[in-house]
Amino acid sequence: MISLLVAQLLNGLAIGMIYALTAFGLSIIKGLLNVPNFAHGAFYALGAYVCFSALQLGMPFALALLLSFVVPALLGAVVEKLGVAQLMNGPYLYQLLFLFGIALILEQLIIIIWGTVGLSAMPPEWLQGAFDLGFTWIPKYLVFNGVMAALIIATVWVLIERTRLGSQIRAGIDKREMAQCLGLDVSRLITAGFALGSGLAGMSGGLVLPLLGANSTMGAEMLSIAFVVLVIGGLGSLYGALAAGILVGVIQSVSSVFVPSASTVLIYVAMVATLMIRPQGLFGER
Amino acid sequence: MQRKPSVYLMSAMAITIAVIAPLCLPFNIATEILIFGIFALATYLLLSVAGLYSFGQAAFFGIGGYVAGYVYINTDLPLIAGLVLAAVGSALIAMVVGMMSIKRTGIYFMMLTFAFNQMIYYLAYSWHSVTGGEDGLGGIRRPDLTIPGLGTIDFSSHLNFYILTAVMFVAIFACLYQLIRSPLGLVLNAARQNPHRTASLGFSVYRAQLLAFVIAGAASGVAGALFAMLYRIMPIDAISWTSSGTAVFMVIIGGMSSIFGPVIGAAIFIWLQGFFSLIWARWPLLFGVFIILVVLFLKGGAMELFDRMRRLVEARLQRSAR
Repeated sequence: MISLLVAQLLNGLAIGMIYALTAFGLSIIKGLLNVPNFAHGAFYALGAYVCFSALQLGMPFALALLLSFVVPALLGAVVEKLGVAQLMNGPYLYQLLFLFGIALILEQLIIIIWGTVGLSAMPPEWLQGAFDLGFTWIPKYLVFNGVMAALIIATVWVLIERTRLGSQIRAGIDKREMAQCLGLDVSRLITAGFALGSGLAGMSGGLVLPLLGANSTMGAEMLSIAFVVLVIGGLGSLYGALAAGILVGVIQSVSSVFVPSASTVLIYVAMVATLMIRPQGLFGER
Repeated sequence: MQRKPSVYLMSAMAITIAVIAPLCLPFNIATEILIFGIFALATYLLLSVAGLYSFGQAAFFGIGGYVAGYVYINTDLPLIAGLVLAAVGSALIAMVVGMMSIKRTGIYFMMLTFAFNQMIYYLAYSWHSVTGGEDGLGGIRRPDLTIPGLGTIDFSSHLNFYILTAVMFVAIFACLYQLIRSPLGLVLNAARQNPHRTASLGFSVYRAQLLAFVIAGAASGVAGALFAMLYRIMPIDAISWTSSGTAVFMVIIGGMSSIFGPVIGAAIFIWLQGFFSLIWARWPLLFGVFIILVVLFLKGGAMELFDRMRRLVEARLQRSAR
C-alpha cells in the first residue's frame, strides 16, 4: 500500500508539474490580456500532436519537443495579432467568444488531421525503463518529465524576472497604461506574451505525450484543469499557478488510489474548499 | 428614458413567432428553436441585463434535463411535476453556484462559472447509475397531461409537444420581459453600469444579481427538461462547456439590444446546426469560423443587421422624397 501511495505521489508530482506549466502559460496570457484563453486547451493538444508527428517523421525527441513549443507559439501570435488585438477596445465578451471560436476550429482541425483514435508514443531509448528505489519502481521518463518541466519553469522565471523583455512584460501586466506612457510597445508585448503562453501549453502537451498519449478530448480536459489551477492559485498572482498545479496533480493522483471514479471531481471539490476558506485563492491578493 | 413597450404587446409578438415557426420549419426544428430560445433568454438576462458574464449556463440546462429525465423514467409522476422539479433543482444548484461566484466580479466570475460547469459535467459523467454517464440518459417518456374537464393531451404527437414547448416559451418570455421592466430589472441594469453607485443608493447588488442568477438557472432547467423530452434522451454533450459557449453565442449572434435578439440567435444557431451537421461531421469547425466572423464584423448581431437595413431604406426614402 505504501509503495503504491509513493508511486502515485511521484506520478502526481510529475503530472502536477505539467498542470503547473500549462496553467502558468494561461496565467501569463490572463495577466497581460485580462482575458482567460479558451483556446489554451487546444494549444496544449496541438503541442502533443505536433510532437507525435515529429517523432513519426524520425526527428529526435529534443527537436520534437522544441517544435511542440514553436508551432503553438507561432499560431498563438497569429491568433492574437489578427483577432484578439482587433477586439481590444470592446467588452471582453467578444474576445472570449473569439477564442472560443478558435478553440472549436483547432479541436476539429486536429480531428481532421490526426483522427479520433488515441495515439501514443514511446519515450526515446535512453529514457525507457525505470529506477529501482528499493520498495518501488519509478519510470525514468516520469523523472525526466518532472525535471524538464522544472527546467522550463525556471527558464521562464529567469526570462520574466531577470531580462529586459521580462520586466517589460511584468510592467504590462501590472499597469498597462503606465507602461504605454513610458514608451513601451504594449501591443507587441501582448503578442509576445500570448505566444509564450501558447507555446508553454504546447510544450506541456509534447512532454506529456509519452506518458498519457494524445486523444481528441485532452484539450478540453486540460482547459478545465488549468482554470481550476488558476482559481486555486489565485488570479492576481503569476506564480500561484505553479504551487496550485502541483497540488492539483497530487490530489488527483493520490485520490485515484482510493476513489478512482471520482478523482476528477475531487479537484473541483478542492477548488470549492479553497474558495470557501480563501476566496481570493491561495496566493491571490484581494 | 424611453418607455418600454407593454408586456402584452411583446407577448403577442412572441406568440406570433411561436405560431409562424412551425409553418416554415419542420416540427422538431421549430421545437428545438423554442427550447434553445428559452435557454438563450435566460442567458440574455444574465449577460445583457445583469452584466454577469456566465460561461456555465449549460450546467443548469443539463441539471434540468437530467432531473426531468430521471423523474420520467423512474417514477409515474405527472408532466408538471417533472418540469417543476427540473426548475427547482436547477434553481437550487444555481443558488449555490451563484453564492460562491457572484461576489467575485468580471473575469473571476466567468472562470468560476466555467469551473462549476465542468465540475457538474464530471459529476454527471461519473454518476453512471443516475445519468447514464457517457451514453446519455435514454428512454425518457413524454407523460400525458390530464386537465380536469378537458381530457387528456397525448404529447407523443409532434404537434402537441410543440404546443407545450410554445406555451412554456411564451410564458417564460413574458415573465422575463416583465422582470426586466420591474424594479429588480432596473436595479440589475443600474448595477451593470455602475455597481458601486447602485450599492451606495442602498440596493443590495449581490442579492439582486443572485436572484437573477437563480431565475436564469430555473428557466434554463425548464429548457433542459423540454430538450430531454424532445429526443427522449439527455446526451452528456448538452451539459459540457461548449454548450455554455453556444448559449453565450446565441445571445451575441442575435443581438443584445433587444429581448428578441436571443430568440433570433437561437433560431439562427439551430438552423445552421441542422443544416451543416447533415453535410459534414466536422461542422463545429464551420461554427467556429462563423463565430469569429460575427465577433469581428457584426458585433451587434442580427439586430444590428436589421438596424443597418432599416437605416439604408430610410435614407433611400428620404432621398426619393426630396
